Amino acid sequence: MMLTLLDELLLFSGATLLVALFIGRGLAAGWMVTILYGGQLLALLKMAVLGYEGGTIASSLTLEVMGQALSWRFDALSWFFALITIGSALLSSWFSCGAWERSYIRQGGNIWLFHTAMALNVFTMLILLASGDLLSLFIGWELVSWAGFLLMALAGGVAARAAMRYITYAMAGGMAIFGGLALIYTASGSLQLEAVTTAVEQMSGAKLWLLVILFGGGFGVKMGLMPFHLWQAPAYAETPGPGSAFLGAISSRMGLFAILLVLVKLFGIVKIESLKVPFTLIDARDLLAWIAVFTIILPTFTAMKQNDARHLLAWHGIGQGGYMLLGVVVADAMGGAGGLLHVFNHATYQAALFMAVTAVIYRTGTSDLNKLGGLVVRMPLSFVVLLIGIIGLAGLPPMNGFVSKWLVYRSLLNQGMPLLFLAAVIGTLGTILSVYKLIHNIFLGQLRVEHEHVSEAPWSMMIPMLILSAIIFITGLMPGIPLEWIASVLQTVGLPVPDYTLGGVESSSGSLDMIWVIGVLFAGFGVGALVFYSAGRSKRVHQLDNYAGGHFLSADVRYQYSDNFYAGLMHLIGGWYRGSFLWLERGITSLVEFLSLGMQGLYRRANAEFYLLTTALFVIAWVVI
Amino acid sequence: MSATELLIELILMPLVAFVVGMMMVLMMRRIAAKLQRRIGPPFFQPLYDIVKLHSKKTQVSHGLIHDIGIVMAMGGYIAAETLLPVPGMNGIAEKGGIITLLYLMMIPSLGLALGVGQCANPNGSIGIARALTAMLAYDIPLVIVVFGVAYAAGTTNLIDIIAVQQAGGFETWGATQMPLLAIAGLIAMHASLGKQPFEIYIAPAEIATGPMVEMGGKYLGGLFVMQCFQLYTTSVLYVCLFLGGGTNWFDFLLKSFLVLAIPMSIAYLFPRYRTEDLLRLMWKWPVMLGLIGVAFVFV
Amino acid sequence: MGSIKQIPVVEAKRTNPLARVFDDLVRFCRSRSLFILHYCTGCGAIELPPAMTSRFDMERLGIQPMVSPRQADILLITGYVSIKTLKRVILTYEQMGSPKYVIGICSCTVNGGMYWQSYATAKKLDEYMPVDLYIAGCMPRPEAVIAGLQQLMDKIHSGEASSWEDYYRNYDYYLGNQQKLFGEDWQTPTDVISEAKHYDLLSEGTLGDHTRLLEQHQKPLEALEMRLGHEQEEPAK
Repeated sequence: MMLTLLDELLLFSGATLLVALFIGRGLAAGWMVTILYGGQLLALLKMAVLGYEGGTIASSLTLEVMGQALSWRFDALSWFFALITIGSALLSSWFSCGAWERSYIRQGGNIWLFHTAMALNVFTMLILLASGDLLSLFIGWELVSWAGFLLMALAGGVAARAAMRYITYAMAGGMAIFGGLALIYTASGSLQLEAVTTAVEQMSGAKLWLLVILFGGGFGVKMGLMPFHLWQAPAYAETPGPGSAFLGAISSRMGLFAILLVLVKLFGIVKIESLKVPFTLIDARDLLAWIAVFTIILPTFTAMKQNDARHLLAWHGIGQGGYMLLGVVVADAMGGAGGLLHVFNHATYQAALFMAVTAVIYRTGTSDLNKLGGLVVRMPLSFVVLLIGIIGLAGLPPMNGFVSKWLVYRSLLNQGMPLLFLAAVIGTLGTILSVYKLIHNIFLGQLRVEHEHVSEAPWSMMIPMLILSAIIFITGLMPGIPLEWIASVLQTVGLPVPDYTLGGVESSSGSLDMIWVIGVLFAGFGVGALVFYSAGRSKRVHQLDNYAGGHFLSADVRYQYSDNFYAGLMHLIGGWYRGSFLWLERGITSLVEFLSLGMQGLYRRANAEFYLLTTALFVIAWVVI
Repeated sequence: MSATELLIELILMPLVAFVVGMMMVLMMRRIAAKLQRRIGPPFFQPLYDIVKLHSKKTQVSHGLIHDIGIVMAMGGYIAAETLLPVPGMNGIAEKGGIITLLYLMMIPSLGLALGVGQCANPNGSIGIARALTAMLAYDIPLVIVVFGVAYAAGTTNLIDIIAVQQAGGFETWGATQMPLLAIAGLIAMHASLGKQPFEIYIAPAEIATGPMVEMGGKYLGGLFVMQCFQLYTTSVLYVCLFLGGGTNWFDFLLKSFLVLAIPMSIAYLFPRYRTEDLLRLMWKWPVMLGLIGVAFVFV
Repeated sequence: MGSIKQIPVVEAKRTNPLARVFDDLVRFCRSRSLFILHYCTGCGAIELPPAMTSRFDMERLGIQPMVSPRQADILLITGYVSIKTLKRVILTYEQMGSPKYVIGICSCTVNGGMYWQSYATAKKLDEYMPVDLYIAGCMPRPEAVIAGLQQLMDKIHSGEASSWEDYYRNYDYYLGNQQKLFGEDWQTPTDVISEAKHYDLLSEGTLGDHTRLLEQHQKPLEALEMRLGHEQEEPAK
């Protein structure tokens, strides 16, 4: 039997898992696992033809379960997501080797479990990405959910509680997907993709609605779409540093992958657009778009209130997911490209940001934004990485986040959707506010006395961070590189492809050329620097030589603004939606508890006539209806 | 267009912006003086200030990021000017378009925010927190306005937006076609200038001029230069969006100065709003006007 | 140390004829753009609002009020300085950017004025910092204030107003007077000696017995340099 390229990749990934499982306790294990991730990346790059030209590569493994053929294959969509998965796993794993690993073990962490959980996550994600029919998709989905649970629960304590919450949501989502599958199976008699497409075309509106809700909800749980977003931020934030970098970069994008595969590729946006919401002017696509923008806005403004750097970033991870979905459901050439490009861009900067914050935790022992400050003079490289990351996250030139957001804005503008456009911009503005809080409270302001002797993060952590920063900048300068892959992805899922160039996109209604924009921006900085540095030589002063209205500052009194950072804003909007989703969650929990109590009461009664009566009633009702 | 011509335009556009911007600063101070029945500063006062600040012996720096912040504050605007078409010069306006321009206009303030952060002065940090809040306040109506104009013109390319307006003279100006958007844009523009009653982040008596508290010498000088660019960019952008750009320089400068004179004449008659009142005001009236205006564009 | 005239003024050696024009331009701009920081210690402050507003309008001379010492060129001391206030005045003065000018308004800054007998008042301001100009009177009217400011502008234009250099050249003298008043553990957050080195103004009067006394108890004030090292061995818990 000849091994196909996909077989090689999956075997490599399985081997990584086995290595982590059996020799994961040794200190060199981290490096070995990292090298194996590198091998996976090479195996993936051998399939690069998928990303550039499309087509599929099948696995030679097929199974038959209850008359259903299970198959696995890679196409451009899988390749694109696999590239991000393996890339972020490689860099996160590299980051975890050496210094971080040692300090993790010293603090009582189980490094074996960590490496195993990471490898398992990558393996299951690849299986999910390779799924060739809806049954293998469902199997992959469940595997990914449990693997994610393992990585999240690793740290115990708060993390374990967050992971429990996650798995509850994930199981509910899994049930919804299973329900959807059952519906499709009854309609088409098969779970092969082609059969599903034909079945969907003949389906009635109501049934299709149910399917969209079941699949959208089920996959949306993983993406953290509103109102299923509550689990995500604590679960990702409490994972050990490199783990949260990996999870934040790619984990919840599996939901987007599944949405792309099922809702966009199989059902088709046109079909979804034809589903009207009764008694309103909007259709299912608008509904998804509005869910997407609420997913952008509310988590972003929740992020602004966080006082822990990791939680702040994790909340943003939810919010940025909204842009991807928004772009994909707008589904014109620019929107689709923007949404998918944002998947790639988000992975790069989110991983870099989590790593930078982990580096700060490694050196100072805290990620509490009220207990840091002024670290730029002690950890300048981490500062640069965090800065590049937040520029990307906020979507400002010259980093890559700008390009993908620009594409999403352009598509909303072309399609004439002012309210969605406005909401997307509000999300961006909120992001700018909260990332400034992040960088200010960690790196700017007054350096605390206890951090005087802190030094830069070790090279084993620094190099992956710098690689990511370079990727963020280069793909910002030349977005044509990822856009080439995305063009094939768009073709695969049946969306229009934009007219892209190396520096951006061409369009008759206004184009973007990042090479020019960044060139001019840096030329401007050059002129500014020329003016600035040609005027007199400046003298550095101590941070306590500072204006305080005539007060004599001393090192033991903090002279820093960090708490309640946007006081004026929070005064107005702070109470607008406080805890309403928590309230909803609690409401559902108590409803379930109440129902189960009621059921319990029924069973305990042990009254045969009563059972007979209720059953009879149900039967009558069934017959009548 | 040859490369030399383009290069000359790229050099000339920021230079013109700086000179005109200084005149706008002068106009602003003269208007303030007239409203307060004073004489006001002499003609070259903005230039004196900038030269003096750059020639100070002491240049107090709180670190490298403090320096870079000022460089970014100046450089970001210098770059933004090349995306803003003026009569006879388009620069690289077609490479970016209006969304890119709006983003580039944020770079100076965010660079400044970094620089102020390193000053380790809570007054400055409070100032930046308020400035970002103000940005959140006025950018929402501004974005609605920009959306309306770009959608009406069917393009984000500023050159095309101007061409559409100049096609039929006064009747096809943005301000006559979309008066509601023009009013909303004017209010948003006023707030974006950071003048009274919206100067929550300067607030001299409260937070000691906020971001500028630790700025002296060329650092403050850089901010003065930035202010020149800011006044120019804001008013020219408004002229491009609503007043049909400029057919010639006289027409163009007249419009830009007149547009800027409106918020300036209002500014010095008012005290300062609180932050949440600014948010309330910005999110209520201009947003409402803007949304109605956009609805008219769709009809 | 009363007479400033005796201090030799070192002219920068400029051979380029254009440089002289440039220097003159810079001095002119300095004289026409003055940002004042009014340290309102006493009753003289009441004369400043009329000097700024519509009646006398200082802005037509290019003078405008500023808020923080970093931004200002002129420190206006408008009245008596108590010993507690003087500490803040010195702190503020040292934080201002050179070239900086001090103007003492009202008689109190000249000789203590009506507070001459007070135990808590510093009587002669120029013992603690170099003063460019006194505007005497109790209180001087806005006309007098503006006349004084115009005189200062002339001095700046002609290059005479260089008393700020005196603070660096004779720091030991000023520090001695300050220590006499505030005690031996007196220290401001500004590192004046390193500034004197930075401006190349270190002379024999800069260092002396008093600065040695300061160095004995001084908390270090070196700027926090950016460090790229990775030497920290033990990360925090």
